[in-house]
Amino acid sequence: MEKDKLRKTDIYSGAVISLFGLWIILQALKMPMKDSWGGVQNVWYVSPAIFPLFVGCMIMLLGALLCRTALKMVGFKTFGQTARWLLSKMFLQFLNSIPNLRFYTIVVLFLSFVFLTIPRVDFFLSASLFLIVFITSFYFDDAILLKKLFFFYLAGILVLILYFSLGINDPLSRIVPFPADILTTCFKISYTVYAGLLIRGNPILRKKYRTAMIVAFVSPFVVGMIFKYFLLVPMPSEGLVVAVTDYFWYLEF
Amino acid sequence: MAILERIGFYFQTVIQIASDPIHIAILFGSVILGIIFGAMPGLTSTLGVALLTALTYGMDTATAMLCLLAIYVGGTYGGSYASILINIPGTAASAATALDGYPLACKGEGGRAIGLTTTASAIGTIISMLFLVSISPLISFFALQFTSFEFFLLAFFGILISGTLTSPDLVIKGWISGFLGLFLACVGRDMLQFYPRFTFGIPELDSGIEVVPVLIGAFGIPQIIQVLKDQFQIGETQKFQRILPEFGTIVRNIPKIVRSALIGVGIGAVPGIGEDIAAWVSYGAAKNASKHPERFGTGEYTAVLSTEVANNACVGGAMIPLLNLGIPGSPPAAMLLGALMLHGVTPGPMITFEHPNFIIEVAAILLLASMAMWVVGMLLAKQVVKVLRIPTQIFMPVIGVLCIIGSYALGMNIYNLYLMLPVGIISYFLIEMGFPIAPLVIGVILGPMADENLRRALMVSQGSFMPVFTRPVALVLFLIIVWTVLSQFPLFKDYKNKIIGKIFPRRAANTGLLPKKSTEQSEEN
Repeated sequence: MEKDKLRKTDIYSGAVISLFGLWIILQALKMPMKDSWGGVQNVWYVSPAIFPLFVGCMIMLLGALLCRTALKMVGFKTFGQTARWLLSKMFLQFLNSIPNLRFYTIVVLFLSFVFLTIPRVDFFLSASLFLIVFITSFYFDDAILLKKLFFFYLAGILVLILYFSLGINDPLSRIVPFPADILTTCFKISYTVYAGLLIRGNPILRKKYRTAMIVAFVSPFVVGMIFKYFLLVPMPSEGLVVAVTDYFWYLEF
Repeated sequence: MAILERIGFYFQTVIQIASDPIHIAILFGSVILGIIFGAMPGLTSTLGVALLTALTYGMDTATAMLCLLAIYVGGTYGGSYASILINIPGTAASAATALDGYPLACKGEGGRAIGLTTTASAIGTIISMLFLVSISPLISFFALQFTSFEFFLLAFFGILISGTLTSPDLVIKGWISGFLGLFLACVGRDMLQFYPRFTFGIPELDSGIEVVPVLIGAFGIPQIIQVLKDQFQIGETQKFQRILPEFGTIVRNIPKIVRSALIGVGIGAVPGIGEDIAAWVSYGAAKNASKHPERFGTGEYTAVLSTEVANNACVGGAMIPLLNLGIPGSPPAAMLLGALMLHGVTPGPMITFEHPNFIIEVAAILLLASMAMWVVGMLLAKQVVKVLRIPTQIFMPVIGVLCIIGSYALGMNIYNLYLMLPVGIISYFLIEMGFPIAPLVIGVILGPMADENLRRALMVSQGSFMPVFTRPVALVLFLIIVWTVLSQFPLFKDYKNKIIGKIFPRRAANTGLLPKKSTEQSEEN
């Protein structure tokens, strides 16, 4: 970031950090200072609050100092400028810019992988879905394709969120084995087909598509196998694929 | 006699490791992996050590250290490949190498330059290993005299100096980053009274924040976001012929090598600052001492030599405070600290009693790692360079999966992932706003040490801070901290310049510390 821009953000980051320091102090003041805890009469210097208080004070002080330094450099006029920018079309353009779209894609991919699929879907399936979407979105190096693929993925993720939040998985798993894994596989296949259709006219992208598919399927398998069978680390969620690999791994000839 | 015994044990360890085929395979495998991590722009040796820590979980401590130190040494050296061949530093540590390495590659001397950096890096690591072995007993002896006050001040100094030296923008940002790390260290039940702090009733937070997922999140996730968001592209690699060991150049430059190694070891030993600063300082020193400073930047062998010796000497330097004081000297060393704790080794002054031969084992591993690095560099450089052709859009998502599975595997706790990702995203924003990440990580690691020692010290002194002023070491540390803080304020700098101007008027005028008028007046007086 340019220095001028940095100073402008410093005003706000400094203020937020200072408030965060204040919050730490307020939380620390709720800790036992001189009262008894666990049958032990406290003295201030052994209190669990003393270190958080020190840290909170320092964070508040340094945050305020950062805010002051930045204000001294760019002046109070920056508040007006920021308000005008937030209300202008430029702000919307900034939010819709391609680098920001890339950022949203990465963050959504990570958030959905960690908070949605990893705890609920077989690791191999969730990791390969993550890699298929991640690699195809960025490796094609095309903003329009990135947008289309991102929205397709977002729609699929919303379906998965609804499926899990409405509690459909539990009753369904009594009828069909691994319903969440099957749903994820369907999503993965539909994404793969959709991405394939989008790039079918372009031979360069078709080559990239093939590479992406190979990496997305092979790497979770290699990594997962190393962790599961050589390091004996059970996967975060074991389902359809792990059941199959377990069957072959522990098969007695 | 004790020294002879130690030397004997050192060679015994070297032979023991070198004669075991599995250890040799692990050593070479880790060095190659380290070189790949170092060479790939966007990946760092810290991330390499972080990801490999999960894989070493089931190994014994010696094998795990062999693996992790080899990847650290290889990663520090590997950065030079991308610097020399594509003018993009593979790691921050090799940024200074690119200045003269790439012009050499453009002249068709890429093979010579890589040969020189390979030999220089190996020499740098070996010299730093010698320092580690010789200085460690001395530091351990002094550290044993430390009381809780000294340890608290030492941890505090580590965070401050790391914040001061690693901040790319304002120094305050480095300090804020360090204190944010200290806050993260406060989360969980405190060790003296078992009181839950900032846990919000979440039982998973009771045991505190796990260091390794925080490290993986703080170093890995921002790297992935930055590289893919900014569409980082790897350029065309320069071709290079046969790699020459360049012993002649090395012999001619022995004094310069020693100077660079000393700079590397010295900077490595300062808590929290790493190989990148060592390389730049060494480059600056080499340029200042050179008879032809104008040649620097156009393809000067001395420049490449100085940066590579210094950044690899930093590895051993970073081990000195890590093993003797429990304070990591660089970000990868912080990662090593986490790994050591996982294996039940607590670095600090007691290490010489609890694990008497551990430092010698580390030194032996460093020697073998540097030799393996040299062999790999000489024989496999052309093959390793091929990894530079892999597009970032392919390997970064795979690194993402490794970050996630690596964080989870340590403790097999899915909560680690819930922690790692937010830390990673927040770290990305902090980096974008000019906050350094190394002090945050150092803060997370040193937080428990600072907290416990502050309270223990106050318990012993019945709430009095007087021992800070009555104990000589504590007083020295306190004064250094005060100096570090005050020296960042313009008012203090003005006063300092005025005082220097009054005491040494001529020197002040020459260095521009005082306006000419005032020096002329003082000379007249």
